Amino acid sequence: MINRRAFLKLGAISAATGLVTGSILSQARELPHQGGRGFSPTTGQRRRSVPSTCYQCVTRCPNIIYTENDRVVKVEGQPNSIRTEGVMCAKGQGAVNQVNDPDRVLYPMRRVGKRGEGKWKRVSWDEALDELAGRLKTLRDAGTPEKFMFQYGRMKASTSKLVKSVFLGTYGTGTIGNHTSICEGGKWTAHELTWGGHYDNWDFDNTRYVLNFGSNVFEAHTNHIPTSPRLVRAMAERGVKLVTFDVRLSNTAAKSDEWVPVKPGTDLAVILAMCNVVMREDLYEGPGEAFLKFVKVTRRHDATLEEKIVALKEHFAEYTPEWAEQQSGVPAVTIQRIAREFATTHPACLMTYRGAVAHYNGNEAERAAQTLAAITGNIDNPGGRCKAVGAGWSYPHGPKNKPKSRKLKIIDGPPGLAAVPTHHMSHYVMKMIKDGSWGRPDVYMTYKYTPIYANGEVAENVEILKDESLIPFYVNINPFYDESAALADLILPEPTFLERWDWEDMVSPVQIPEYYIRQPAVKPLGETRDFGDVVCDLAERMGMPLGFKSKEEFVRLSCEMTPDVKAVGGFEYMKKNGVYHVPGSKPLYYSYTKEIPAGKYVADGVIYDEDTGVYWNWKKAHHHSESEARAKGYAHTKKAFKAYVGQRIGDKVYQGFKPDALNKSGYFELYSNILEEKGHKPRPTWMAIPEHEKMGPNDLYMTTYKVGVQIHSRSANCKYLTEIYHDNPAWINPKDADKRGISDGDAIRVKSPIGEVETKARLTEAIRPGVIAISHHCGHWQYGRYASGNKSPSGVDTDPDTKRIWWQEEGRDGKGVHPNWIIANAPDPINGQQRWMDTVVQISKV
Amino acid sequence: MASDSSKKTLSRRQFLKVGAAAATTAATLPATVASATTKQSIHYAMVIDTRRCIGCHACSVACKTEFEVPLGESRSWVEYVEKGIFPNVRRSFLPRLCNHCDEPDCVDVCPTGATYKIASNGIVDITKDICIGCGYCIQACPYGARFLNPETGTADKCNFCLHRVSEGLVPSCVNTCQGRARIFGDINDPDSEISRVLATNAVSVLRPEMGTKPNVFYIDADHTDERDAERYNTYVRIDTHRRQKRRV
Ligand code: SF4
Ligand code: SF4
Ligand code: SF4
Repeated sequence: MINRRAFLKLGAISAATGLVTGSILSQARELPHQGGRGFSPTTGQRRRSVPSTCYQCVTRCPNIIYTENDRVVKVEGQPNSIRTEGVMCAKGQGAVNQVNDPDRVLYPMRRVGKRGEGKWKRVSWDEALDELAGRLKTLRDAGTPEKFMFQYGRMKASTSKLVKSVFLGTYGTGTIGNHTSICEGGKWTAHELTWGGHYDNWDFDNTRYVLNFGSNVFEAHTNHIPTSPRLVRAMAERGVKLVTFDVRLSNTAAKSDEWVPVKPGTDLAVILAMCNVVMREDLYEGPGEAFLKFVKVTRRHDATLEEKIVALKEHFAEYTPEWAEQQSGVPAVTIQRIAREFATTHPACLMTYRGAVAHYNGNEAERAAQTLAAITGNIDNPGGRCKAVGAGWSYPHGPKNKPKSRKLKIIDGPPGLAAVPTHHMSHYVMKMIKDGSWGRPDVYMTYKYTPIYANGEVAENVEILKDESLIPFYVNINPFYDESAALADLILPEPTFLERWDWEDMVSPVQIPEYYIRQPAVKPLGETRDFGDVVCDLAERMGMPLGFKSKEEFVRLSCEMTPDVKAVGGFEYMKKNGVYHVPGSKPLYYSYTKEIPAGKYVADGVIYDEDTGVYWNWKKAHHHSESEARAKGYAHTKKAFKAYVGQRIGDKVYQGFKPDALNKSGYFELYSNILEEKGHKPRPTWMAIPEHEKMGPNDLYMTTYKVGVQIHSRSANCKYLTEIYHDNPAWINPKDADKRGISDGDAIRVKSPIGEVETKARLTEAIRPGVIAISHHCGHWQYGRYASGNKSPSGVDTDPDTKRIWWQEEGRDGKGVHPNWIIANAPDPINGQQRWMDTVVQISKV
Repeated sequence: MASDSSKKTLSRRQFLKVGAAAATTAATLPATVASATTKQSIHYAMVIDTRRCIGCHACSVACKTEFEVPLGESRSWVEYVEKGIFPNVRRSFLPRLCNHCDEPDCVDVCPTGATYKIASNGIVDITKDICIGCGYCIQACPYGARFLNPETGTADKCNFCLHRVSEGLVPSCVNTCQGRARIFGDINDPDSEISRVLATNAVSVLRPEMGTKPNVFYIDADHTDERDAERYNTYVRIDTHRRQKRRV
């Protein structure tokens, strides 16, 4: 296809110089970037600095927050972080705007008018928590704690442990919803089916070739800063080639050596065909073949290498590049060439993200990607796709005797809609509540989660959340007055992440765990209180003290309990330094090859399962007797994976690819007995997208995306970010626009089966004909003045910039549109992932 | 952890004095990269290697926060240039800031001497105390780098983070750059990183025909503008990502 370095150099003065080699550019790394100190540009005074952690996105980069006169004025990367090497993205820099936003919620507010009417009464924390504790206590004392539903968006590390494991565990509700299915939960399920745990680290520092299906790593990724600069460095200094399959020219595609504009939803076909090339041309020989020892390819777990190779060749035989060309529009020769490049440039790294997985066939796309990486020997090796490594913190577990939790079965969607929704189906929670067949919560509480804006079918979400007969009491925990808070009965104000405590543990790009903490740079504004402190207080009010009184105490105790951290000075060390990794640690690769000593598998309660080759502990799996365990077997014992000990392969027992959510074996499973038993294809298999099969000549695929300066739904209030990105006209290829008489900038109507929105057209050559793309982030109607023009009920007028929101002025750009009004909440039939990229629309000029 | 605040105030008067002297001599000093033999002991410059730039805007936002730049104005911004016909489409990124020119038009037109080139390091700065906000410099700058700050009523623009640089720190935009695409330093020092990069790469500057002799150098910059779209009859789209939609 296109060699991006070789064409279209018009205007590029130094085209002739091409790629300058490492010797010079690599010096850039040695340059002292001299972080850690800051000075006021007006007075020259040294700024106070606090090592802490960004939380604009889930990447959670260690940072340094600077203050002047108890006001946050600047944020910088943490130069001592092995994850980020001291850089930050635009969002991280914009964190200043979160804490200084003039539209924050500053005190608890109780609804006084009709729900959603916008009439509020300021109440004291005592009043708010007495009422809430009273309601929760009543539910618990009646033996129905499950009628308290808690649903969270961004809740990780210490907050997750404190709130979910300790507080909700002690209270006894299991009706806990998350948001992962609208993020990338489907990818994780595919991981749990293949290599056990979830999350893949792309080892750019050591790779020689990068193949990308649907990740926009240069703009948005769940481990953005630890990966994006490393990929730039690999490309600039070592000439690593990056090939990106995407339906539009994202900035990642733009910086790639080659952009392959694939038809939406057909990444799976391309990957299957690449597996075909690898098997047919014997390119698995070498590292791929060696890895097959740890791979399960057939129903039986003890197949020989020859049998495995035959099975793979047979399975992929039908997926020829020519077949894939028909599906994907990518020329067969291109597929073949890239497959060869990928297979023969070892080590090579295979990236995937929502462009490939947020589809009807996303589970299979990810399993196929795992397959391609496996048969080329690019799993958990330096330079490949590695099993994630993060810090392992110890923490206080709260009261010993926790009740057996009870839950409403409303978090996984209707029974059978998805085969193995291990990360739940959060986009179906509202529908489940409306339906009522599985019960409804009396108290619904959301934490850093906006059911209204974050899910598809916004209109239905609004209707349900407004209906007091469906949801009698809704509590929203929030630093900001967002679209969901506006529909709450009680809003509890949270400080921003620059004003709170946490320990953190996000994935390390260098396969060495990094411990780090978040600490407040300033006192929480107004009456805002860290939700971790609030649950401690609530627990006291309900007579179930947790054993610590605040999040700070929880973090302090965790520091003292975690051996690596304690050894260097615990909490005090972390407060002073922010980050820590054990010096001289070796990066963790090939963890599956670790042998389990006989003492571990010839032990009390441990038995061998003939069907899977797994050693497991029947006692830990809560069986009453060994014979009962043997009769039921590992695969069919509820949560037996928790009792996994090791995998027998030949005459040895290995740690293998340890299961983490499903009763899989310790093999890297390319053949899933679990899926087979659920009526799905055991090996990665082509699945056509039903809506796409039925498309007519006027239909377009609609796809969504994220940009580098906004977080999905939680940054439109950041004035410096929204000044750069506030409007999201639909990308459309001029070919498609011409046919419909649409010119650049025209108002257009975009209609899907569930509704329509109006927006503007952006005619661009940077998108595949037949596709339109509308980003997330925009079209807010709350979230304060910078996001929507609407002041929050507790908004203040101290920021002169609220008078300078030029993009909202008459005749200027405006605030864009939210695509979720017209995207249906629909799951991947295997893993339940929300299918963000499958919508079919028609467009017309307004 | 709190670091002690050490009181240190930038002396504007001092700058003014040296600045005034420099302003008068600036025009006669042919300080180019090749012959950087001025009286300056230090000659600050920046190289932006666009091959390493991914258009992330971290630099623009870092700058905006460092100086609390009012909405609508920018010291630093990142332009996107998109061009070609599907599927041969390219998007490139052009980070922008004041060029700290050796022959700055803004200095020439300033009636009060508020805008001046610092003799000791080459930075073009503004002494706010004596700027009368007449806006001549804003008109004169061929790069659209200047604006009237609504908070102070004075001219404003990038000053290479003088308050950081004078403390031995790199500018804020350089500190945060994801791609490590921005290299800042002294081109009078042959051993500096920036001198080595300049010595071994072809670079370009923006609008060289203006004769201002910029000190911001680009590797592999895409200089395409809307005029090229007409000339080559092809698709070109420029996004400035600031209030001024037209590229200057
Ligand atoms: S990637 Fe950016 S927004 Fe996310 S945590 Fe890091 S600096 Fe913050
Ligand atoms: S050097 Fe400083 S003032 Fe200039 S663009 Fe960079 S951050 Fe802004
Ligand atoms: S921070 Fe660096 S990579 Fe990002 S836009 Fe600026 S110059 Fe480019």
